[in-house]
Amino acid sequence: MVFLQQLLNGLANGMGYVLIAVGLTLVFGVLRVVNFAHGEFFMLGAYVTYYGMTLIGMDYISALLVATLVVAGLGILANRFFFQPLKKEHEFTILLSSLGLALLLTHLAETIFGADPKYVDTPYSDATFSLGDITVTQQRIGVILVASAMIAATYWFIKHTRMGKMMQATAQNPEGAALSGINTKYVHAYTFALACALAALSGALVGPTAMLYPTVGDWAVLKGFIVVVMGGLGSVTGALLGGLILGVAESLGGGYISLGFKEAIGYAIIIVVLLLRPNGLFNPPASTK
Amino acid sequence: MKTHRRTWLNLAAGLIAASVSLGAWAQAKPPIKIAAINPLSGAGAFDGQLALEGMQAMAAIINANGGVLGGRMLELVTYDDKGNPEEGVSAAKRAMEQDKVDLIVGGWFSAVALGQKEVTRDKIIHIVTSAQHPKVTDEGHKYLFRLNATSTMMSDRYSKFVCDSIKPKSVAFITINDDYGRLEVENYTRLLGACKIEVKGNEFYNRTDADFTTALTKLRSLNADAIYVSAINTSQGATIYRQLRQSGHRGTIIASAGNMNPKLVELSGPALEGVYSISLFAPDSQRPMARKWIDQYAKMFKNEPSFIGSLGAQAVEVLAQAVEKAGDPRAYDKIAAALKVPKLNTLLGEATFDDKGQAQQSIYLIQVKNKKIVASGG
Repeated sequence: MVFLQQLLNGLANGMGYVLIAVGLTLVFGVLRVVNFAHGEFFMLGAYVTYYGMTLIGMDYISALLVATLVVAGLGILANRFFFQPLKKEHEFTILLSSLGLALLLTHLAETIFGADPKYVDTPYSDATFSLGDITVTQQRIGVILVASAMIAATYWFIKHTRMGKMMQATAQNPEGAALSGINTKYVHAYTFALACALAALSGALVGPTAMLYPTVGDWAVLKGFIVVVMGGLGSVTGALLGGLILGVAESLGGGYISLGFKEAIGYAIIIVVLLLRPNGLFNPPASTK
Repeated sequence: MKTHRRTWLNLAAGLIAASVSLGAWAQAKPPIKIAAINPLSGAGAFDGQLALEGMQAMAAIINANGGVLGGRMLELVTYDDKGNPEEGVSAAKRAMEQDKVDLIVGGWFSAVALGQKEVTRDKIIHIVTSAQHPKVTDEGHKYLFRLNATSTMMSDRYSKFVCDSIKPKSVAFITINDDYGRLEVENYTRLLGACKIEVKGNEFYNRTDADFTTALTKLRSLNADAIYVSAINTSQGATIYRQLRQSGHRGTIIASAGNMNPKLVELSGPALEGVYSISLFAPDSQRPMARKWIDQYAKMFKNEPSFIGSLGAQAVEVLAQAVEKAGDPRAYDKIAAALKVPKLNTLLGEATFDDKGQAQQSIYLIQVKNKKIVASGG
């Protein structure tokens, strides 16, 4: 029973990680940007949901949708002012720009929203669903279901739509894509907005399982990076498997070995992956590429 | 008649000149700089803010009454220790070496205070506010003072209440994985064990954790009557209390000593109703200085005055009293002597520092009732 409960805890956490990581991996794959500010879009998603509910009086689901759209819009702006002008610069410059953006957003949030923790009080947070001795909140079931649906939709979108194919083309060869008539600027903006929307959605979904504070993005981006490195930079299926593995490994490792190691598990996985399969667990090794 | 008028005019001019120069003279008096080192970012940011606000409200009261030493104002210089020992140490160094502050108030987390006291050792008056680890004062120095009761003092008092009034058959702990948390487990395992309460186990969590379901699942499987939650910051605390109820625990919850504040009650919702804790600050206190501080706080800030804030205020209050007596904010031996006078009158009541610099003051039992923290007869 305890095993099943821990497995379920791990799956719910893991699906949250997946949602965070998919956006991160998309931005890296298409824009070649390691976006340290990704966690801040997670944070903003949760805050916009909170204020939508408390200030405007929206219900949770509408607030969540509004947050996703608002943050996607912010993503377009962020890309326009922080990443697009630096496209020709060295990768490190872009990396620093994203770090700067992360700090800017965190401190703005601290100034505007205040340092006091907030709680997104959804109707599903305290409502539980029990089967025998296993208990899980409806909010967590929601995380698992919505995340699964979003991953499937994102995967389908990339494989089967015109925009998705343009994203793939831009990822594989930006110059070639531009030469064949793809407006890569537009593709970049679109991808960034999509990634931010996913981050905001994960913030709106995962945020209510804990308290909300301006630096909550630090935690999110860290988990996201572990998952992305594990799954291979730029791979959506890698992010899905990586996120689930991290979530389950943390809860089973924490549950059966020691909670003191819970944080270390993610880093240990990264070291092993980087040593043995630096392209990610599910990508072919570099030599065969 | 003419001369008369001139005399009056001269007198008036003289008076104006005198008052202007007096004003200038009062302004020219240098402020007394107090370093306020608190966690202002990270998971402990809110608690740091509460502590700082408490200090600012008390400084405002003292400055409005003309400051200290005949018109010297108290100036708080703020630093962010991010709740982390390295940052806390570097903030204390900056305060002393670059900003040349006169006095230091800092060390909200035990881990931070333990590091900081080595920087301030025998060099500057250092008031530790809320850190509870006994080693802070056991291995302190001649200029180090701590206001909060140590976790050992707290646990002695609290365990008696748990044994006599709550009376669970068994208990399990969830505590933070640091010096403070490990000591809590050690103390309560011994004290509750002594009155035949079975201790079923303990789980540690980390300062950066945002999810506690794994730990709480382990705890629940132990089937303890009561769960003791040692949560030192508000955001993690509220998450733990909520997730504990969500995990299906219907038994008693015991909240760790000194970590109850109005925000925690608000964020935790129904999960904290009826939960006990102990504290040095009873929000319904009628002491005049406490009322004055609570009013000033309400004028300046939108948060509710909290225990952490009252400790910050007490730090500023006792420093102002001691500097006044010593006659100089840099006469550290005199200030230390003035602090060690028995029964200092403060907003929390009478406080007496012992030889190690540890304050001895009353500890109250408190309980959450209808979403308010009230003193409990217990």
